[in-house]
Amino acid sequence: MRTTIKIGAVAVASALALAACGSDSDTASDGATGGAGGGGDTLVVSTDLPLQGAAADANKSANDMIKLYLEQVGNKAGDYTIELKEYDNATAAKGSWDDATCAKNAQDHVANTGEVAVMGTYNSGCAKIIVPVLNQDPNGPMLMVSHANTNPGLTKTWDPGEPDIFYPTGKRNYARVVTTDDFQGQAAAQFAKQELGVSKCFVINDNQTYGQGVAKAFVDEATKQGIEIVGEEAWDFKQPNYSAFFEQIKATSPDCLYVGGIYDNNGGQLFKDKVKVLGDNEAVKTMVPDGFTGYPDFQAQPEAEGVYLTFAGLDQSSLLAQGGAGADLVNAYKEKYGADPVGSYPIYGVAAMQVILEAIAKSDGTRTGITNAVFSGEGITIPADKSVIGKEIKIDPATGDSNNRDISVLQMQDSTETLVKPWIL
Amino acid sequence: MASTTIDAAATPPTPTAPPSHEVVDRTNRRWALGFAIAALGLWAFYKFALESMPGGVQDAFQTWLPLTAVNEAIVWVICAIGLNIVVGYAGLLDLGFVAFWAIGGYCAGWFMSFFLGQYDITFHFLSAAPPTQSGIHINWWIVLAIAGAVCAFFGILIGAPTLRLKSDYLAIVTLGFGEIIPQVFVNGEDIAGFNLSNGTKGITPLDPITALPVGPEAVSRPLGPFDLETKYLLFALIVAFCVFVSLRIREGRLGRAWLAIREDELAASMMGVPLMRSKLAAYAVGAFMGGLGGVVFAIHVNGVFADRFNFSISIILLAMVVLGGMGNVWGVMIGALGLAWINSTFLPKLGETVNDALDTEINFPSYNFLIFGSILVLMMLFRREGLFPETRTRELVQEPERTELEDMHADLEGDVR
Repeated sequence: MRTTIKIGAVAVASALALAACGSDSDTASDGATGGAGGGGDTLVVSTDLPLQGAAADANKSANDMIKLYLEQVGNKAGDYTIELKEYDNATAAKGSWDDATCAKNAQDHVANTGEVAVMGTYNSGCAKIIVPVLNQDPNGPMLMVSHANTNPGLTKTWDPGEPDIFYPTGKRNYARVVTTDDFQGQAAAQFAKQELGVSKCFVINDNQTYGQGVAKAFVDEATKQGIEIVGEEAWDFKQPNYSAFFEQIKATSPDCLYVGGIYDNNGGQLFKDKVKVLGDNEAVKTMVPDGFTGYPDFQAQPEAEGVYLTFAGLDQSSLLAQGGAGADLVNAYKEKYGADPVGSYPIYGVAAMQVILEAIAKSDGTRTGITNAVFSGEGITIPADKSVIGKEIKIDPATGDSNNRDISVLQMQDSTETLVKPWIL
Repeated sequence: MASTTIDAAATPPTPTAPPSHEVVDRTNRRWALGFAIAALGLWAFYKFALESMPGGVQDAFQTWLPLTAVNEAIVWVICAIGLNIVVGYAGLLDLGFVAFWAIGGYCAGWFMSFFLGQYDITFHFLSAAPPTQSGIHINWWIVLAIAGAVCAFFGILIGAPTLRLKSDYLAIVTLGFGEIIPQVFVNGEDIAGFNLSNGTKGITPLDPITALPVGPEAVSRPLGPFDLETKYLLFALIVAFCVFVSLRIREGRLGRAWLAIREDELAASMMGVPLMRSKLAAYAVGAFMGGLGGVVFAIHVNGVFADRFNFSISIILLAMVVLGGMGNVWGVMIGALGLAWINSTFLPKLGETVNDALDTEINFPSYNFLIFGSILVLMMLFRREGLFPETRTRELVQEPERTELEDMHADLEGDVR
């Protein structure tokens, strides 16, 4: 015990000594801070993504692609030199995004004086923690642009109090380049009625924010379109199989199944049992949102044949076929890393970064200035020829949502996602 | 504030008190004094000194010891001290402590946000929330008490059916409880039409807290997201409360009953220790602190999310208790601070620093589990009684196993026992 007390005493003493030193060096450091604030036109832009656990590959890929893009544009935005800083909002212990880490990162974004804007997050829950903090930044509000948050409540009236509760100062500071869940669900419901001619749908979701969101939107629109919703159920991704789950659904004899969720949540097994119990995707038409697009495993799965997929924006193959900025970037990525980008979010990550860079170029280089560039006047527009998603990105200065409302409807044919038709709401 | 804690904690030495008692008390007093000074020193440092430090020092602290990480670690400390009562004092293996953290968190979600406004409930009590906002808004000090009480109730609820179980079997029941409660919250968006938890969307944001419910502007103003120093001080106060309760109970009749149960349940019951009451009390007190931790965490994050409450939290809490030194509040505190810091700050920053220094692009996050696991394994290999074990635990752990003695041809019947 005696030694531990000594160690404790030393630690305390050194802490106090440090504190004492601190008050001595007042004047010297004040000068230093002033110097750093005034000079230099290097601005730090960060990404805030979960780099551990299930979503790690997609997000690592997004970081790599953004780095590649920044190299391509010479790390410049207007007159400013851009430096990228990567934050990880997952922890080893949890293996996925972690709320405490999001809270910590939010403080870090504000505390790092050189940092001016954040690209992220991947999870809407994490954004709901970070956005209010950035919003109250004394030198802000600080801009955040997400490539993957599809939860509508972040920008528009959804659950009670949303979205205003996320913006305590009353000013907006959050934008996104991805379409919200509601549009995808809507498009799927319209397509199901008008093109597939179904009449009785069963809707399942993976019990996560995204899955519930698209499923809810599908149900709302389907009811309007006159499709009967014969049941709604959540699947548990921890289940080893879903035979019993689909037997229940079979009893309601639907002619269409809507699967709100992401492939990572045991989607492979889900489709195996779906086809086993309900029959193939011709017998019971099956629709999935973009949480199932871009997964090679899903494409290769025989049970996925004939599934209809919706996707906000252009899918990777159409993008490559169309050529332009997006195609060049994907090709450069393949050349540098020897593999395709994982899923569709990396390219959206770059699109979000394009919005940030454009805002910086239009601003005075301060946090407030950059946020204002997005949320005042005309807002930010990335023309179609420059945009990496192959079409114009226009951020609505009132809400921060993008104009990107068209949805591609794809079908799995011979293990490739083939465009059926673009769907404009 | 912690030093007053200690004065109260120290039992007045009486001529009849056994000498060993006095030693324990004095050690506690030293530890408490050390911690009080460290806690206040840290606060003063962040509040007054850090700003005027040279840029390099500021950056170093911002990187390696940001105050948010300290505040988060404090939450772990509160929960670990609670778990220490159940595991360390009473010797009841609990693998489901995360349940109390979750319940505490949701108490904050229900009573400190707009959330219940969806049922047209509006109730304000000494809260800093705008009076026009619907939902239940109660001052956080009161919510702490409510959450503690609710958790204590659930602690007794889980404790009651486990009274006849021991060790592994008990662990499995608590494990079940720790799985059920978070699942209820994950799926709690629509319980027969009632939205209990908002599902995985979580409840966010919460009301701002105030240092005191009433009083002059300086102490009753709502604390914003950047008032980390004040929050730190308030959270540290709650830790001091938990430590005080732990130490006081341990010295008392109940604490001695727990230790007796831990060391030999049968002997304890033969000596007249009320097993049922003591065990339930251990669950209740531990759960109470878990509830406090839950509220503090929800305030720290400014919301409560069902995703968080998974099995690994229970295990890490247990690791903190075991690593720090089961039964010794101070050891547990250091274990919790250390592991929380390793998890939240050290591992991520280590990767960044190495990559920057060597100009490599090693994907460190993917090795975090490995490093974290290795630290735990090494600890267990070389210091399984924990960093700062309780004296009695150390003696127990270091006592050779019966089989080891037999290997050495010891005369078991004669010497040992």
